[in-house]
Amino acid sequence: MPHYHLPTMLKLLLFFLLLFLSGLNQSVKKPYLAKWVITKGCSLKVVGSTNVNQFSCVIANYYQPDTLTFYKDAAAEPTRITGMLKLEVQNFDCQNPVMTTNLRSTLKAKAYPYLIIRFISLSRYPANHAQTGALKGVVSIQLAGITKRYEVDYRFIPNGANALTLVGTRQVNFSDFNIIPPRKIGGMIQTNNELDVQFSLKAKILE
Amino acid sequence: MKKIILSGFVAGIILFVLSYGGLFLAIRFFPELFMDYNNPLFNSDGSRDILFYLHAFIFSFALSWFWARFKGLFHGSFITRGLEFGLVYALVALLPVMWITFSSLDITLFIVFSWFMYGFIQAVIAGLVFAKINA
Repeated sequence: MPHYHLPTMLKLLLFFLLLFLSGLNQSVKKPYLAKWVITKGCSLKVVGSTNVNQFSCVIANYYQPDTLTFYKDAAAEPTRITGMLKLEVQNFDCQNPVMTTNLRSTLKAKAYPYLIIRFISLSRYPANHAQTGALKGVVSIQLAGITKRYEVDYRFIPNGANALTLVGTRQVNFSDFNIIPPRKIGGMIQTNNELDVQFSLKAKILE
Repeated sequence: MKKIILSGFVAGIILFVLSYGGLFLAIRFFPELFMDYNNPLFNSDGSRDILFYLHAFIFSFALSWFWARFKGLFHGSFITRGLEFGLVYALVALLPVMWITFSSLDITLFIVFSWFMYGFIQAVIAGLVFAKINA
C-alpha cells in the first residue's frame, strides 16, 4: 500500500470535493429554457384547390396533453424544441361530406391514420410573449408514411397571462408525401398539387 | 360488317370530339356544376383514363351494331330516325341503368340527370351519323 503524506491527501480530498460540487452545480441548473403546455383549442387547417373549386378542411379542437420544451445551446444557434402534435386524419372536416371523404381518402387515412407535426427549432425564443410577433422555425411533418422537414412562418399572439397562441403557416405539396393529387373523369377535374397548411397551437408557458 | 365498322368508327370520332370537347368547355365555364365529382367514388389515380377516353368508341361500335340490326324499324327523315334511335336507347338502356345507379351510389340527382342527358344526346348524334352513312 503506497504511503501518502497528510498534506497530499488533503489536497486530493479538496480536489475531489471541488469536482463533486462543480458537478452538483451543473445538475441543479435548469437544463431547458422554457416549457409550454399545450392546452385545449389547437387546430390544423389545410386549404387547397381543384380546377372547379376550393376546399378548406379543419381538424378543430385538437387536444392531446403534451409539453413543448425549449432548449438553447448557444446564443447564435436557433432554439431547439421537443414536442409534437399528433392529429387524426380521420378528424378532418371540409364542411362538405363528399370533400371530407375525398380528402381523407387522398391522405390515405386508413393506412396512415395520423398526421404528426414535430417541432424542431425556432429562430429565437419569443421571450416577450406579451406582444404579438413573428418568427421562423423548423418542423417535420409526417403524413401518409413520409416525413419531411419544413421551414415554417410563425406568428405568436398573447392569449392572457402566461399563455399564447402560436400560428404556423407553410405551403406543402401533395407530391412531397408521394401522394398523387386526385384527378377525376380522365383528368378533366384536377386537384392542384399545392396545399396551404396552418396550425394553431394554444399553450400555457411554464418558465 | 364493313358498314358497321365504318359507321361505328366515324360516329366514334365525332362523339369523341363533341363529348370530351363539350365536357372540357362545360368544366371551364360552369365549374360549380362539377364540384360533386370530387368524390372517392370516382377513380382518382388516372389508372383508368384510357378506358374513360375509349368510351366514345365502345359506345359508337355497340350502337352501330344495334342500328344495323334494327334500322328497318326507324322511319322518316334522317333527323327523325336519329332522334327516335336516341330516344329508344335512352328508354331501353339509359333509364334502367341510371335508376340503379342513383339508387345504389352516393351521387346527386343532378349528376344522374346530367349523365342521362349526356347519353341521350350521344345516342342521337350516333343515330344521325348512322342514318346518314348506313341508311
